[in-house]
Amino acid sequence: MADSAAPHLELRPEGIFVPAFDAWIDPHAPAPRAIVSHAHADHAAPGHGEVWATAATLGIYRRRNPEWSGPARTLAYGETVQGAGAELTLFPSGHILGSAQVRIEGASGSVLYTGDFRRGASRTATPAQAPRADVLVTESTFGLPVFRFPTRAALEARLVSACQAAADDGVIPVLLAYALGKSQEAALVLAEAGIPTVLHGAMWKLLPEYEAAGFVFPLSRPYDSGPVQPGEVLIVPPNCARTPVVRQVRKRRIAYLSGWALREASRAEHDAEILLPFSDHADFDELLAHAAEVAPRRVLTHHGYARDFARILQARGVDAVPLAEGGERAAEDP
Amino acid sequence: MSEYCALADALEGAAATRSKLVKIERLAAALAPLSGEELVAAARLLSGSPFAEWEQAVTSVGWATLARAASAVTGWDKETIGASARAIGDLGEAIGLMLPEENEQPGRGGLQVLEVETRLRELATLRKAAQKQAILEDLLRRASRVEARYLVKTLSGGLRVGADLATVEEAIAAAFHAERETVARARRDCGDIGETAEAARAGTLDAIRFRLFHPIGFMLASPIENPEEIVPELPLFAVEDKFDGIRAHAHKSGSRVVLFSRTLDDVTAQFPEIALALAAPPGQFLLDGEIVAWTGDRADSFFRLQRRLGRKAPPADLLAEIPVAFIAYDCLASGETPLFERPWSERRKELERLAEGGGFLLSRVRRASDGPGLEAFFSEARERGNEGLMFKREDSPYQAGKRGRAWRKWKKALATLDVVVTAVEQGNGKRAGMLSDYTFAVRDGDRLVNIGKAYTGLTDEEIRRMGSVFRKITVAKYGPVRAVAPQVVLEVAFDTIQKSARHKSGFALRFPRIVRLREDKTPEEADTVESVEAIWRGIQGMPVAAPEPGAERPPGAKLPR
Repeated sequence: MADSAAPHLELRPEGIFVPAFDAWIDPHAPAPRAIVSHAHADHAAPGHGEVWATAATLGIYRRRNPEWSGPARTLAYGETVQGAGAELTLFPSGHILGSAQVRIEGASGSVLYTGDFRRGASRTATPAQAPRADVLVTESTFGLPVFRFPTRAALEARLVSACQAAADDGVIPVLLAYALGKSQEAALVLAEAGIPTVLHGAMWKLLPEYEAAGFVFPLSRPYDSGPVQPGEVLIVPPNCARTPVVRQVRKRRIAYLSGWALREASRAEHDAEILLPFSDHADFDELLAHAAEVAPRRVLTHHGYARDFARILQARGVDAVPLAEGGERAAEDP
Repeated sequence: MSEYCALADALEGAAATRSKLVKIERLAAALAPLSGEELVAAARLLSGSPFAEWEQAVTSVGWATLARAASAVTGWDKETIGASARAIGDLGEAIGLMLPEENEQPGRGGLQVLEVETRLRELATLRKAAQKQAILEDLLRRASRVEARYLVKTLSGGLRVGADLATVEEAIAAAFHAERETVARARRDCGDIGETAEAARAGTLDAIRFRLFHPIGFMLASPIENPEEIVPELPLFAVEDKFDGIRAHAHKSGSRVVLFSRTLDDVTAQFPEIALALAAPPGQFLLDGEIVAWTGDRADSFFRLQRRLGRKAPPADLLAEIPVAFIAYDCLASGETPLFERPWSERRKELERLAEGGGFLLSRVRRASDGPGLEAFFSEARERGNEGLMFKREDSPYQAGKRGRAWRKWKKALATLDVVVTAVEQGNGKRAGMLSDYTFAVRDGDRLVNIGKAYTGLTDEEIRRMGSVFRKITVAKYGPVRAVAPQVVLEVAFDTIQKSARHKSGFALRFPRIVRLREDKTPEEADTVESVEAIWRGIQGMPVAAPEPGAERPPGAKLPR
């Protein structure tokens, strides 16, 4: 793909480079200067020199990479930074705590990099905005029309009633949810319904960052503080489904919280009885709505069904191309 | 009037639990309020087909026709529908998820159970894809998302809710307070889960009797790969040759004879000399056995038998050139008495008694006590032109339509090959979402040349573990196929090798299956195309196994039920 596909961005094999700031956006390999959209591992690789991100993202990045001691630049949503011939602004993306979209504008036009985003209300993420841009670099994790999720309110109600029903049946609900974002959201939803939660260490260690942002978890305790009791809900990352952490809960009912839970096949993949398509990503309709609201003259798609989503946009008269070739869904979700 | 949504909801409820008891409860709740023809239709639909088993009918709706209908109803192009089906892992689920919001309005389509059954049955009678498509469009336009999901699953290879025919039998027993065994027996004897359900409701299960000339399912054998697997249990088993022909049930009463194949098709007309011979002795009976090409005193190769297949009225010269015979190895009914429940040993005694009247050949039964003895029997069987050995537990009943461990089969693999995996792909059905389909290659000088593809052999756990290995060594993606770096070595077994232009190696393996992962071997130690050719030379003129229906399925193939 030509380097001129988007203003201010150089699309290189190793990732997206921004010459005006001599920085990379969400680089996969250690980079001298990285603009990190959010703290999920596939966007926030360890070992960068300098990191630019929101305060919450930096806080989580430090907790996940305690050995990192590079210089950091904290950017608030809406704060503008001047570079060589361009300026950079972060906008909330509604994906997880601290997640941001990156807009760069200058004489040659503007580009908006969404990172991972979700429109609609969330308990811990600042709601996404849709600033106008000439070119939109959008994620397309769920870029097929089968991926339409129920409303968050409906899913929260299903989560609470599934946990209550499990308790009534004398089994312990075990939620499979990503350690950063989904699990904390679930813990807050359940706390509101008066249901206590036991959190896997990978989730627990991030709570101080949530507390710093004003969220409290009065009904949560860490997994290593004692066996799960009837009435409690255990929350672990999806890759723990077949480990002793879950197996030693003898009477259990597993629920899988992910956009991929729309697939019946994920029942077998995760030994899950309950599928809750609880996603931190935009669904297909939100991807379309975001592209419409940003109103770019060109869209570059990446992540997930990038090729299919670009083709679907093209059929609607939008100039759209996949950022890179290889439009298969990623092995991991976050 | 009963609505289809009650059935779709029951199936959805069954899928959403791992508990067999709860699945049974949910299906039973859907059946309990029904009666008459609605109950007949509902029980069939819950078991995945609008037809009775004995009808052996299939709706014959191809993927392309379904996709075209879905395209017309959802407004999405076929490419998006295909990509969505792959993303979700199931066409029915994908179509359900793509239906417009309006389809969710309660009671909108009002699909009735009887109507769904009738329309699905109609699909089987229509020849033109466009006519089938019109029916599908109408159903999908009126269906809710859950209804669409199960309508399409019914047409595209299985409901996959973890409830098999036995589960539906249990649901019928629970709904109408009948004995599970009685329901199962009645279903087997009449070959219709629908008729069985209605009889259970009416309390007339005992009136369902086994009927001659009404096809029933075949008891199937589980394969073993080496004699050690059965040696410890040998005292319980009788040993027979495994014949290389066409499995058939012979129904006979007086001079009337009907032969049903494994697919429950009536194949009598293809084998007039067998029908004539069986008509000769007096009385009535139902035999299980094998149709083989027969020359002098021995079975002939399957290649010769093949020339007799599919000819409704074989000409006299073909009858003379390739004579066939029926070798009986089981007796399922004699006179008025069904023998399914009797142990094999008792059925065998009756079979031997009937054989005295002539009209068919009798398979020879032997007993072995150790591995070397079995090896000797095996070699003798092969020398007689047969395929291998069968093992039958002497105390076992005849489990029609089921594959169990009471019967085993041993067809020795010719050899095994160590091959290198070159590409992987997501599986279908139970293994949707797992990288379970492997393309593999042998060495040809410095290069690797593909020789086959295998879907079976590893456990789910192994497939998962290998999945993450393959994700790491993926070098390119072509749609759903991942080309992988040649690092993983597998040992594969197969029934035979044929010349083939399909693979670069110039050879194809028949029924390849993975024996095990060879983590101890490097790709440099894999077998070569020369060793494949050597095996191929060695087997020229040797017998080849008959294809078994359902033994190998390409992914996405349309399956008869």
